[in-house]
Amino acid sequence: MNGIFSWLQFDFMKLAFGAILVITPLFGILGTMIVSRKMAFFSDALGHSALTGIAVGLIFGVTDTNLSMVLFAIVFALLLNKISSRDTGTTDTVISVFSSLSIAIGLAILSRDGNFSRYSSLLVGDILSITKQEILYLLVIFAVTLLFWLFCSNWLAAVSLSRTLARSKGIPVKLLEYAFAVLVALIVMLSIKWVGILIINALLILPAASSRNLSNNMREYHFFAVLFSVFSGILGLIISYHTNVATGPTIVIIASVIYFATYFYGRKFS
Amino acid sequence: MSLFWETKVSMKNKYVFVTVLLLAIALLGHGFTRIYSKPAPQRKEEELMIVTSFYPVYVVATNVAGGISGVTVENLSQPQTGCLHDFQLAPGDMMLLSRADAFVINGGGMEGFLGEVAGEYPNLAVVNAGDGIFSEEGTDSFEEEHEGHEGHHHTENAHAWMSIPHYMEQVAAIRDGLVELDPGRRTLYEDHAEAYLSNIQSLKEEAESLKELASGQPVILLHEAFWYLAEDYGFSVEYVLNLDEEQSVSAGEVADLMDLMKEKNIRIILAEDLYGRDLGDTIEEETGIKVYYLDTLTRGDGSPDSWLRGMEENISILKEALGMEVGA
Repeated sequence: MNGIFSWLQFDFMKLAFGAILVITPLFGILGTMIVSRKMAFFSDALGHSALTGIAVGLIFGVTDTNLSMVLFAIVFALLLNKISSRDTGTTDTVISVFSSLSIAIGLAILSRDGNFSRYSSLLVGDILSITKQEILYLLVIFAVTLLFWLFCSNWLAAVSLSRTLARSKGIPVKLLEYAFAVLVALIVMLSIKWVGILIINALLILPAASSRNLSNNMREYHFFAVLFSVFSGILGLIISYHTNVATGPTIVIIASVIYFATYFYGRKFS
Repeated sequence: MSLFWETKVSMKNKYVFVTVLLLAIALLGHGFTRIYSKPAPQRKEEELMIVTSFYPVYVVATNVAGGISGVTVENLSQPQTGCLHDFQLAPGDMMLLSRADAFVINGGGMEGFLGEVAGEYPNLAVVNAGDGIFSEEGTDSFEEEHEGHEGHHHTENAHAWMSIPHYMEQVAAIRDGLVELDPGRRTLYEDHAEAYLSNIQSLKEEAESLKELASGQPVILLHEAFWYLAEDYGFSVEYVLNLDEEQSVSAGEVADLMDLMKEKNIRIILAEDLYGRDLGDTIEEETGIKVYYLDTLTRGDGSPDSWLRGMEENISILKEALGMEVGA
């Protein structure tokens, strides 16, 4: 009964643990690509669009909120990508406008008749709501991300450095960017229910940002990002279980501690 | 332009640093957990463990089953917000339920997480205090709840404990449920329930004395829980604005409310302190009509008589409200 791993006797904790094992490496890998492509704002906006996705789904009578969220997020991601690739000067403003608008639409629809409280679990996330089916979805996406990472991460890095250079090397820049946007959308939407809209971006960004404080090359960058992500995830889950605190925030706090430690270490020894 | 910051961190130091860092965080986390985690209540084999879903039901259960040796009554971790509208089960709650023999609920769709509990512990005996009070539709949220975690089916007004007669029915329902589960302690449960019911009965008689004055008085409610209360006394409810947790009121609704108050010359407004205070202040300022703040009886110190005390307080506030009516 007692001991650090006593929680594994509960089915819901096994599911949560499974989800963490799938999703944290995923977030680590994806985070590296997001951070080096400077898309932190983009993934944040995507997270916010989850509310709109659910709201739009409600209007059209879609009962499976996963479906409406994912569909809306894909559309939203493609649109954002289109706009942000068009002109470079005001990208952050445009993304911010879209993000604000989508969260406003979502709030407006969901708070109709004063019923927003039933959706508040989306904001902070709920670890107990994970189902086996959702973990299955996540596994599929995990495989897709791994493939994408194996074949395209060098291309993406090249695009991040210089689009023109990448294009001259025959890299399908546009296609790559769209594919990446859709991938981020899928992962954010499928994990948002238990991570929560307010902090999902932190989970994507923090491990990669911490890793960048230490790394000198791509291999280290990816290795540390995945390590930090998995570590914060598992430790966060265990601590949140024992202290009865929401899991998402616990994970983010741990990831933040790692970030600051690596930041000062990196500065000191640079 | 480089992908990496201009850091030239030396190779071996880095791995040592990361290892030490992660170990330190894990240790800190362990220490932190030790301080904050509560030891799980130990359970002996022959004991009966009763878990209640939230405060009003907990108070009933402590009155019916509290103090009986071999019976433990525990409440789920409570949201300080009062009602269960946006309550989510925490892992600790699931742990508590895993050790429970009986789960006592209010019913009426109040426990939106019931489907989740039933999925996890299909053999857990559920004692529904709302049996006979709520329609089947309201209580039966099992099926839909199973799929997603979004909605409580809060279609019905589940605040039955706000009505003295309904509350007495709830006490009886919980007594019957426990007797059925644990026939060996039948007389104990029945005696406890009897004593509690007689206390409620005297309160009920006190409440009856208000009926004459209250009957037909137009009131506005700023919380749907008071609907049962108003029904008890025969108030004529003109408008219910449900202020709860995160529900926000639109400006148009408030304006409608003010118009209605003028039109029907409504002098009594019943509100709840925590969520109704802001709007209550606005109304008082705008119209000069006093807003009376009642207790929804969903919070308390956990003592068995907290419902009785809360209800008594409510009655005396209502008396004051009605007394002003007489003087005016």
